[in-house]
Amino acid sequence: MSEFYINVVLQGVLLGGLYALFAIGLALSVGIVRLVNIAHGDLIILASYVLVVLTQSFGLPLWLSFLILVPLMAGFGYVLQQGLLRHVTDKGMLPPLLVTFGLSVIIQNGLLEGFGADTRSFSGGALQTSTWQLAEGIYVGALPALTLLVAVVLIFAIDRLIYGSHFGARLRAVSEAPATAALVGLRVNRVHALALALVGATTAVAALFMGLRMNFDPLSGPGRLIIAFEVIVLGGLGNLWGILAGAILLGVAQSVAGAIDVRLQVLAGHLVFLLIILLRPQGLFQRS
Amino acid sequence: MIRSISRRALMQGAAASAILAGFVRPAYAAGRPVRIGVVAPLTGPLALFTEHLDFVIGQVQAQYGGEITINGTVHPLEIIIKDSQSNPNRASEVASELILAHEVDIMTSFGTPETSNPVSDQCDLNGIPSVSTDTPLESWFFGRGGDPSTGFEWSFNFFLNVPDLVNTYLGIWNRVPGNQRKIGLLLANDNDGNAFAGLMPAPLQAEGYSIVDPGRFDLPASNYNAQISAFKKERVDGVIMSLPSPEIAAFWNESAQQGFQPLFMTPGKGGEFPPGIYPFEDRALNLSVEVWWDRTFPYSSSLNGGSSADLADAYEKFSGQQASMALGYTHALFEVALGALKNAANIEDRGTVRDALRDTSHQTVVGPIEFTKGPLPNCWNTPLVGGQWRKGAKWPLELVIVDNTVSPEIPVGGDVEAITYS
Repeated sequence: MSEFYINVVLQGVLLGGLYALFAIGLALSVGIVRLVNIAHGDLIILASYVLVVLTQSFGLPLWLSFLILVPLMAGFGYVLQQGLLRHVTDKGMLPPLLVTFGLSVIIQNGLLEGFGADTRSFSGGALQTSTWQLAEGIYVGALPALTLLVAVVLIFAIDRLIYGSHFGARLRAVSEAPATAALVGLRVNRVHALALALVGATTAVAALFMGLRMNFDPLSGPGRLIIAFEVIVLGGLGNLWGILAGAILLGVAQSVAGAIDVRLQVLAGHLVFLLIILLRPQGLFQRS
Repeated sequence: MIRSISRRALMQGAAASAILAGFVRPAYAAGRPVRIGVVAPLTGPLALFTEHLDFVIGQVQAQYGGEITINGTVHPLEIIIKDSQSNPNRASEVASELILAHEVDIMTSFGTPETSNPVSDQCDLNGIPSVSTDTPLESWFFGRGGDPSTGFEWSFNFFLNVPDLVNTYLGIWNRVPGNQRKIGLLLANDNDGNAFAGLMPAPLQAEGYSIVDPGRFDLPASNYNAQISAFKKERVDGVIMSLPSPEIAAFWNESAQQGFQPLFMTPGKGGEFPPGIYPFEDRALNLSVEVWWDRTFPYSSSLNGGSSADLADAYEKFSGQQASMALGYTHALFEVALGALKNAANIEDRGTVRDALRDTSHQTVVGPIEFTKGPLPNCWNTPLVGGQWRKGAKWPLELVIVDNTVSPEIPVGGDVEAITYS
């Protein structure tokens, strides 16, 4: 009996790895560029469809397609900021919200037009089916374990980049005080664009693991966005490790509630979110 | 003021005109055009049901040459196809468009209750004869709030019914070596899921099965952790589901990740189709499904006289793809619709088209169809057998018929085996 619940919690923790991947990019958008990107989920789906094209139309292996996808999405993020979002990033809260909302609609309908409403996923061969049995009734699948590992490594790398590098100092400077940063000679727009490039690269990682784990179609973006939002609000802005904690909390809440009754699975995630908002509006791990 | 054409209007105009072009024959046909409306999930998770549509329309065209003779008058025959995008709301929307804008004389729809039910509802509301298939009779009749004492006025449906389905499943499962008769239900919160969850437990329990039901869940499901945990905890011998193929893949992959190894698994809906099963490779072997049509069925078409094997061969030659069960039913749907139009006393009176449809007594490629003698009003249950996926001679995986409890006239090709794990 106890191993049943241990397994349920463990699967929730592993699911949290995927949720963290959804949220990292959004946390960077909000944290550095002050951009509440409504289209973040759609960017992940867009990246997934680029993978679909690379693997199915060009017949490339998945790993190679992914290596191509990362710079593609980073470039897309850069161009998106320089070409479109820079015009609204210093105009207050509402304009960026509206522009990214429009972007979301465009991406969804563009994908629907180009690819139809068919549901897709990637085939990962043995990675999707291999598993380790830790104890009687307790299993860790290779793919979920790898997802969590990648999430941890990615968060560690971005944390080091932001808090331990020259580039990171610039990112923090434009995040804290864009006007002052511009005064001392920082090209704020360019730093913002580089931050969006970093966001683009993270959406590529999220796209790969999402497509291996779950199905997607052109309209799946908003579902991923809600998860990403809940994760960064749970974890608290400004703390990258908080994202991992928030994601795992959400994953475990869904998994445990699902074990009680399948119908509660999605609801429980949202309830935990609302509860934490009530008790700790600043998030669980906000750096003061 | 810029006038814009909406994307939807543009797409629909393009799709409709493309289809009409092949069918409208000008000049000597005396009567007005007779139109058959088709609503089907051409895209989306249910698209596997519709892959034969182009081929079957081609067969109708070959046989009819774009004309139909009704009551001595030759009419041009038009077939207008609309995509439901696997979405019930959109199915309803395009059905009313076919009725109001295209003024179809008879409506056809297929590809699960998510298509047939809203389309049939629209037809009953608007007084248009409607025939549908690929929807289990109970999901169609009770899913639409049907009353067995009155039935529906305009809509008809032929497919398997749940008692036959359960008896076919039991015919397979009871013979799975090592089966201790404990079964898990993986049924979603949709028409089929709710109908099966209501109707299946009683007959299964009567056969000594204990049932593990983690409850209805919404599609698309983000993961199946909870259900797999419940099945493992209760040590079920097998799982029955009715899900689109991407969901089955998600469940079966997660089952492997969590070391869940049932003796039998029946992936209804998506698992009935070769493209839904191929991604599993060897993990597809001995998955069991109900078989509503196969090349071995001893029935022939009223459209062109070909046997089931002829139909399957013609499709495989035409498309280079493996024929699946939906081929027979897509073909039979047009057999029934065309038969009703031809037998109508007066094409200008929809009631007579409806009467001809109701009085259908047809030998089709999926067996005889008689709506007035079915187990529910407006319904007819077609023959059913059980099969398992095995390595095939012509295709990598082929269905082998392993049980014919319900329809003994259909030959059996092998015995039941349990799923094996490496």
